[in-house]
Amino acid sequence: MAVFQAALVNEIEKLYKKKKALVAVLLSLAVIVLGQLVIVGVRSGFGLRGAGSLEFPMLVLSVVVNTVLPLFTALVAIDSFSGEFSHNSMRITLTRPVSRFKIYTAKITAIVIFILATLLLLLVFSMLVGFIFNTNSATLDSIVRTLFSYIVSLFPMIVLALGIVLLANLFKSGISVFFVSILIFIVLKVLGVVFSQYSSLFMTTQLDWYNLFLVNSFPLGKIVRQFLIMLGSGIMLFTAGLYLFDKKEF
Amino acid sequence: MEPIIEIKNLTKLYGNGRGIEDINLDIFPGDIFGFLGPNGAGKTTAMKIMTGLIRPERGDVKILGYSVTEDYEKAMEKVGCLIEIAESYTYLTAFDNLKQLARYYPDVDHKRIDEVLELTGMSKYKNEKPKKFSLGMKQRLGLAAAILSRPKVVILDEPLNGLDVEGMIDIRKMIHRLAEKEQTTFFISSHLIHDVELTCNRIGVIYNGKILNVDSTQTILNNYATLENYFVSEVERNGRVSSCAR
Amino acid sequence: MKVKKKTAMLVSFTLGTLLLATTALADIATKSGYDQLKDALKVTAEQSSEKFDSFTMDLSIAMKDNGKTLMTENEIRKYNRSMSATESLSSGEDLTRGKHNSQVYLDKTTMIRVSDSDPTYYVTEFTKERKEETFSNPFKENRAEDIEKIADAVVGSLKDHVVVTENPDGSKGLAGSLTEVQIPSLVNAVASFQMKQEFDGRQDNLPHLTKDVFVKEVKGTAKVNKDGVLESILGTAQLSGIDDQGTVHEVTIEVLGKLSGINSTTVTKPDLSGKTVIKNIANSDNSSSEITSPEKFVGKFKNDILIEKNNKFVKVGERFIEISQIDNETVTGRYYEVFKPGYEEYTTPNRDFAINAKRANEKNSSDYEYTTSSGIKGNLFFDQYAGKIFLNGRTPSLGSLIFDSTFNPDVE
Repeated sequence: MAVFQAALVNEIEKLYKKKKALVAVLLSLAVIVLGQLVIVGVRSGFGLRGAGSLEFPMLVLSVVVNTVLPLFTALVAIDSFSGEFSHNSMRITLTRPVSRFKIYTAKITAIVIFILATLLLLLVFSMLVGFIFNTNSATLDSIVRTLFSYIVSLFPMIVLALGIVLLANLFKSGISVFFVSILIFIVLKVLGVVFSQYSSLFMTTQLDWYNLFLVNSFPLGKIVRQFLIMLGSGIMLFTAGLYLFDKKEF
Repeated sequence: MEPIIEIKNLTKLYGNGRGIEDINLDIFPGDIFGFLGPNGAGKTTAMKIMTGLIRPERGDVKILGYSVTEDYEKAMEKVGCLIEIAESYTYLTAFDNLKQLARYYPDVDHKRIDEVLELTGMSKYKNEKPKKFSLGMKQRLGLAAAILSRPKVVILDEPLNGLDVEGMIDIRKMIHRLAEKEQTTFFISSHLIHDVELTCNRIGVIYNGKILNVDSTQTILNNYATLENYFVSEVERNGRVSSCAR
Repeated sequence: MKVKKKTAMLVSFTLGTLLLATTALADIATKSGYDQLKDALKVTAEQSSEKFDSFTMDLSIAMKDNGKTLMTENEIRKYNRSMSATESLSSGEDLTRGKHNSQVYLDKTTMIRVSDSDPTYYVTEFTKERKEETFSNPFKENRAEDIEKIADAVVGSLKDHVVVTENPDGSKGLAGSLTEVQIPSLVNAVASFQMKQEFDGRQDNLPHLTKDVFVKEVKGTAKVNKDGVLESILGTAQLSGIDDQGTVHEVTIEVLGKLSGINSTTVTKPDLSGKTVIKNIANSDNSSSEITSPEKFVGKFKNDILIEKNNKFVKVGERFIEISQIDNETVTGRYYEVFKPGYEEYTTPNRDFAINAKRANEKNSSDYEYTTSSGIKGNLFFDQYAGKIFLNGRTPSLGSLIFDSTFNPDVE
């Protein structure tokens, strides 16, 4: 466990020191500022509320889970794998007394922590901005639901990250991983519209699954099914990625 | 005496026919083993298997009694290595690079990092990033990383790559000192015959993926004028053998 | 150890696959409340257009502002498919116009209209039997499938907001509600913008919302009977906004639809005895392109030729169209102009020509096209309801004359 911890701390330190993660975080904050400007514009220009203090975090979430968050997840995941493959810097860690399974898990955990941190940061900032600039519409219930929505959005992001990690272990260059990821993302989005009856099986639809937690009746059955679908695909992707990573030659 | 590194029937062949075939080697404590062979003989392949970077087709490597393929963490616990080019994270300072590695060893602290930086002559570049480093400096940093954990076994693949004469002498001194003071066992590959002669006390010759002979430097130098003569005769003998077989 | 690792990987992969596959199958098999609502709508539309002999549909809309009723509308439609007859009664009330009622009866051969503002019964008798279906299935329209897909995509993750409760007798209750946080902001913004246009202050009876407009809540319930037919559906939307005076308005819109009297609805033709009746004969209610008894257009039609002089319109003469023969295929006649004394200089031979027009080939077009001897093309349109002829065509330069294409019958 100590070894895994060391690997994890290393991965987080690398993420932090590389500035890429920092840029991602700053860009996320830029999204909030931009979103708020749009809301202010809509409000003064059209006289609409646009978003209340709590709808604003939800608006931000609905935008980021389909745009910047998958993008940053992809960049960080690709950098963590393809980036180190291509610079041979993977060897630095690999020749230490730490198994590949632990390195792989540590890398993925670091990505998950990055996503969680970004989500929490987005939540805090969008709530702050929402309370400062927008009409107060908060109730305890809606605060809890908002908090929940942000946190559960982590799960589909993890599945997405695992998918990208698998691709990163499959293809040589990081750029091809990036473009293949985007292509798959778009294809799944389109399929989700065309075959809407099966859309709940697609990773891209699951990105919006936080909406289920907003439903008054709390559709437990549906939530459990969605969770199990994500869990199943997560396990599959994790194992497939691990298999490739484990037999990779450096 | 128990061998510290035990290589058994190690085989890994690549599509182009290169690789290693049926290598058997025992390295004993106190050895400064020179792995001598021309470019492409299979030195790096063997060493990559030893350090777990690639998997063997057949055979196994045991370090300190633990199999590299099955019990990697234990096998590598007291091993330091430098394979091919010394890699480092270019966005971290020399110190931070070593700090990353130090986390895997509970008894390596910041003092030890400073110590190995001093040993390899990298102290003044402690807070610089390897982006601007020359090949020699990177190699020194790589060596520092290899000996960081006070390993019992150090595996070095062409450690003198890119080093100037002064650097070569420094490193050789360092190897001898560690072998003497801390009883560190070395496994060093090189194609520089002269250097191997000066550094190592046992020598194994690898040619076309096969081990030709293993002997102590002393015995070799008793029978041959130079190590070079020994190497050439070994290779020639092997060539004759293979041509006879043909 | 090595074997163990491989087995572990294989087991975990298989486990993942199984988990995914079984849940996926279960998920596909489970219909969301939204899907069930859609199914009920489809069944209802299909049954209503194909199976039920008669039924009653009741639709009402009410709009309230802070509890004060702004407007109500109610429409009861009775359908009898076997007789192809429908009867609709609509009534409503709003702040400016007060109450109003009207009634329309329609069967294969007759249409009767009456409203409380005018107690006269307007009766249209069709010479041909109408072939239209009493109730056509909206899901069988051309683009219904595409629209359904788009609707599905828009509804997207809101599908699961519809909750289904199954009753022991096999009927189902569907309910759903969305509050501000649950409505996607973009949808809310677009909807609020639409609604804000409605409440722009141009209608006196509606509040003028200027600021902070947003959709506060959307609710809906529906009842599906054991045959899968939607018996009632109620939707409520609440819009909030602030007017110029800073008063907060909560505008509620309620829509209620009911289906009842399946196979037991009777459609009765209004009793016309003792009532003021205005009769009108029509070929068929929507084939306005055919002129019924075209002979009525035989005769003279005219309009005034005007010029603008000293900032005044001055009549300088009259244009005439004389129709000597007309049927649903051809028209013959003459166009000419007569100028008042003192204005004869405007006379040109170009604008005195015989008309030999033929009905245009295109279906549903009621234009008659002609070409004059000097090669000018034009067409005539006969408006049988207004009793007018419209002349369209490239007319030679008129100079300062003002052209008017409408010709009225010269009945004196």
